[in-house]
Amino acid sequence: MVLASFASSSDLFSHLWQTVLPDYIANTLILGVSVVCLSLVFGTLSAAFIVHTNVKGKGFLRWLLLLPLAMPAYLVAYLYTDLLDYAGPVQRTLRGWFDWQSPNDYWFFDIRTLPGASLVISLVLFPYVYMLARTAFEQQDQNLLRAGRLLGLSAKQSFFKVALPLARPAIAISASLVLMETLADFATVNYFAVNTLTTAIYDTWLGYGDLATANALASLLMLIILFAVVAEQRARAGQRHQSNRPNQHIEIIKLSFVQQVFISGFCWVLVLVGFLLPFTLLVIMAIEYSDMSQLMKLVEPSKNSIEVSFYAATIATCLALLFGLYRRLSNDKWRMFPLILSGFGYAVPGTVLAMALLATFGPLDHFINDVAVYFQLIEPGLVLSGTIFAIVFAFVVRFAAIANGTISSGIEQIPRSLDFAPASLGVGLGEMLKKVHLPILRPSILVAWLLVFIESMKELPAVLLLRPFNFETLSIQIYQLISDEMLEQGALSAILIVLLGLVPIIWLNRSKEST
Amino acid sequence: MQKIPFIQKKILLIFASLSIISSTLAQASEEVNVYSYRQAFLVEPLFDKFTEETGIKVNVIFAKKGMAERLAREGKHSPADILLTTDISRLIELHDRDLLQTYSSKTLLDAIPSQYRSKDNTWYALTTRVRNIYSAKRLGVINVNYEDLADSKYKGKICTRSGKHAYNIALVASMIATHGKAETLVWLEKFKANLARKPQGSDRGQVQAIHQKLCDISLGNSYYFGKMLADEKQKVWADGVYINFPNQSNRGAHVNISGMAMAKYAPNSESAKILMEFLVSKDAQKLYAETNMEYPVRTDVMPSALVASWGTFKADSLPLETIAKYRKEALKLIDQAKFDL
Amino acid sequence: MVTNELLSIKQLSVTLQKKTILSDINLTLNDGDILGLVGPSGCGKTTLLNTIAGFNTFNTGELKINNRNISRDYSSDDEDILTITPAKNVAPEHRNIGMIFQDYALFPHLSVEKNICFGLDKLTKSEQKSRMTDLLNLLKLTGLEARFPHQLSGGQQQRVAIARALAPQPKLLLLDEPFSNIDARLRNELMLEMRQLLKQLKMSAIFVTHNKDEVFTFADKVAVMHQGSILQVGSPTQVCQTPSSWQVADFLQLGSWIPLQAANGLFQSALGDFPSASQLVSNTRAVTDENNSKTRQLLLKSQAIEYCTGQSEKSNVKVDHIRVTEHGFHYLLSSIEKDSSLFFDQLSFYSEVLLSLGQHIAIKIKPHKYQIFSMPTAT
Repeated sequence: MVLASFASSSDLFSHLWQTVLPDYIANTLILGVSVVCLSLVFGTLSAAFIVHTNVKGKGFLRWLLLLPLAMPAYLVAYLYTDLLDYAGPVQRTLRGWFDWQSPNDYWFFDIRTLPGASLVISLVLFPYVYMLARTAFEQQDQNLLRAGRLLGLSAKQSFFKVALPLARPAIAISASLVLMETLADFATVNYFAVNTLTTAIYDTWLGYGDLATANALASLLMLIILFAVVAEQRARAGQRHQSNRPNQHIEIIKLSFVQQVFISGFCWVLVLVGFLLPFTLLVIMAIEYSDMSQLMKLVEPSKNSIEVSFYAATIATCLALLFGLYRRLSNDKWRMFPLILSGFGYAVPGTVLAMALLATFGPLDHFINDVAVYFQLIEPGLVLSGTIFAIVFAFVVRFAAIANGTISSGIEQIPRSLDFAPASLGVGLGEMLKKVHLPILRPSILVAWLLVFIESMKELPAVLLLRPFNFETLSIQIYQLISDEMLEQGALSAILIVLLGLVPIIWLNRSKEST
Repeated sequence: MQKIPFIQKKILLIFASLSIISSTLAQASEEVNVYSYRQAFLVEPLFDKFTEETGIKVNVIFAKKGMAERLAREGKHSPADILLTTDISRLIELHDRDLLQTYSSKTLLDAIPSQYRSKDNTWYALTTRVRNIYSAKRLGVINVNYEDLADSKYKGKICTRSGKHAYNIALVASMIATHGKAETLVWLEKFKANLARKPQGSDRGQVQAIHQKLCDISLGNSYYFGKMLADEKQKVWADGVYINFPNQSNRGAHVNISGMAMAKYAPNSESAKILMEFLVSKDAQKLYAETNMEYPVRTDVMPSALVASWGTFKADSLPLETIAKYRKEALKLIDQAKFDL
Repeated sequence: MVTNELLSIKQLSVTLQKKTILSDINLTLNDGDILGLVGPSGCGKTTLLNTIAGFNTFNTGELKINNRNISRDYSSDDEDILTITPAKNVAPEHRNIGMIFQDYALFPHLSVEKNICFGLDKLTKSEQKSRMTDLLNLLKLTGLEARFPHQLSGGQQQRVAIARALAPQPKLLLLDEPFSNIDARLRNELMLEMRQLLKQLKMSAIFVTHNKDEVFTFADKVAVMHQGSILQVGSPTQVCQTPSSWQVADFLQLGSWIPLQAANGLFQSALGDFPSASQLVSNTRAVTDENNSKTRQLLLKSQAIEYCTGQSEKSNVKVDHIRVTEHGFHYLLSSIEKDSSLFFDQLSFYSEVLLSLGQHIAIKIKPHKYQIFSMPTAT
């Protein structure tokens, strides 16, 4: 299929190949690798500090480190490019202090570059790594670390040689989520004036009107991701990692004063830069530019946002459960298939996905209308592609990977024997799932639901293209104002999106604590 | 035996329920649906006035990317009646994909000069906007042409938004029409070499950069100047620049349009016609001109006082269709020059 | 510290999460000895093991480990003896102790080879290789180097865990319920094998178990723990023959309990009376405490029971349960007189005489060194 689309559009493709595509691919790879690396450093280290050291304020930091998740990446990108580029307040103030006149008078790092983009995107995405790594560390069999100690490792070495490798599957899952999110993102990199493969997809499709080449490029993007994921899985083939034994006493490394300063500094900087600073900027904007009348305008979009996100989260979670349990309980050779397949939607840029859905639902809608005419009923119109059905469907496809990841890892933690025990007690499959698996999976189900909900609240491109008339969501409101450089007016919506995203995060954290 | 009637029943049930759903969606005749490439809040005052005058409700969806695609996929069941665009190329694209229907009336034909509407009466311009060159006041009054952007005297002094933005593509297309491909490529490469920074941000952002002395020259649409002057925060930026109408001594400044068209399968074509006529009415054009600082397409409606104060200018007489024709070539040249990289 | 003492624990107490887990623990271990820590679940034996290993800190007391002849990196100036106090901790990795965990704690992401060599990174590659080969041979693991832990049987996993713990040549090996995951049939064999191995390597070891058979098979020295303290330490023979308290005897199931009543210088039991002033009574403290009569019990071993075959004696017990063993029959007897405060319901009696279920018989206690204990009122 990929080859076919390459061949059919070879003209445009060779033009792109000779001009910008190599640069785009290079940028894509560099961006992907650096965002993943930075997120891993931020997420894994902070998780390790929270779980394994007595860092000050750890009770707060535990959940504060999750907060950047509530921030839509495009929003943070906008705020930071605005804050840090030449015309932004930071450089302006510096120029004021030091009486610099032009860019030639001083050096300041350029935020609108590949490193700038990587850094800011990592700051928004690292909580994925943090969350999964933290859970992995907390649930590790502490005897393994103890064994490491008695075999001559210090607590620190023991972490790096035992705990970290053991957490690798969880960290790898989070890294692939980060990778997919990064590569599928268009709006964010756009603010950084960084051109990636996603740029090429948009150009070919919207600029050149060549859907085939756009498809080919999208496939290329997916191949990169697939390659990364498979390579990682290959690298740990044969190893087995599950060895969960929760509720064990975890040894806490006592930090020296200097370590304490650096480590709590590290965690606080992450929280500050990933959440507090951008959020404060929004609040300041809101105070300066907003009034009550704007607040009223938020009611309808909030309701819409919550409504579609609610449906999407519920459906994605149910599907993830279905596919996950199917893989676990079926003997079918292809039992892995639905799960893997449904996970790839995450890597598809929102707009491309929206187009694909229009292409699928459009004809279906036509068919429905034709059938309606045949039965002499009123033509229902575009019931699939023209209603929130399409949006919910898009969200489910796009965020299935998150729900799948969370639920599968939950399922993996259920001992195999529990699949058989109920049958031995004369309990049927349905009853068994209801009485055993679902109650055990409850925390995972909750987490999956919340994560999809948050992501759906933030999602922009798909909803922009698929929404019906008069259907505004918070993200659309923000986007409209951002694209006219008037975020100030949209600060309230932005705050609302963040706050609505915070509720599930805090809830999520509490649910994790109580389990 | 019993299954078949059951399934039939089920199908009927589904359709019945779909019909009920759709009846809530179904367009009452007192409505008109608009797909807009313009942000909703920019056109809302206009629609509010329309509803007030006619009692017809206006539903709007705003989206930039993929709107034409959506319309095409929806086909004959599309709820869209009117399409509003901000760029000639979009109108031509809709036209070429056979997504528009002809509609003409004396009002429309009288109000809109012939170079600002399609020959087959499918689309009509509503406003025109110039691709201006802004220059820092510190340079003094300058006389500048688009060709000068490649002049090495401006090395490191020019800012612009992405080369692939519709407004810039249209400008490049007009350059191709005037100078040919080869020369335009050279121009683009030299232009790129003159840039103070990688293309980024919006047209307003470039004026801000001039204000911050990051560069001296930028490309920007005319109406942004007016809007910045009206904005508390952005006024200082605009105060630091002159708005220049390029190529006044030769072919004239590059002009783009915002336009409207009726969708091929418009379900509310009667309301749609009323809306189209309304949008070219003197009142609407006046409102458009005042709120959006654009040049009304009607010759008998004056631009806003502020816009008028920038003086009259000579517009490039290049047919809009020609600009749209060179669009893809322009995009390829921009890629080739690696303008955005 | 005496020269051949490897480990000495003095007045050690541990409080975790405001709960006292261990109090006033005193223990010494000689070079080459195998100590069995035994006690009911929750008595603190695993905590003691973890404290020795360095996974817990302790609140009071002192822990000394003789660290002589050791080439490992830890150098405490010119001291050979590690002295650990609450104020002066020594990290687990510097204690030169090896440990085998109950679930073996094999690193699931590493092969057998890497698991075994995990603690050897101070050695050169070739030294690692030769030590590993030795261990593989010793533990009959040759050929399994490349396997991952989940590809091994339970017994193989245990042997890898042993190999891994032995590889860095620790002075002291700690074993946490090492045989609990092993098939009962294999267990005895494995215990003997392991004991031989430890003796062959002159390795000292402390192991934790709640199984008395394991202690008596495996240990040179037994420490019985109860509710956070050590009740008795001694050789298996010592502990078996002269338990120091009711709990020790009860936990190790050294005999059956017969209630006693003291009256008029006599001890009365359902099986007859004997003088409380008798020289044969071993535990004088229990005897002198006359007020505590209700909780006083006699530890009665099967060999001290005499079966009266004649008709002269009145039947006093009933046969409740019969188990056939390779040496004859094992009966559980209960006293016939149910209402009496001297009633007992589980008296273990081995005999070669065949009795029938429910049969009433007469038995009596042979005069012997009576072991009398006060049963704790509430446990």
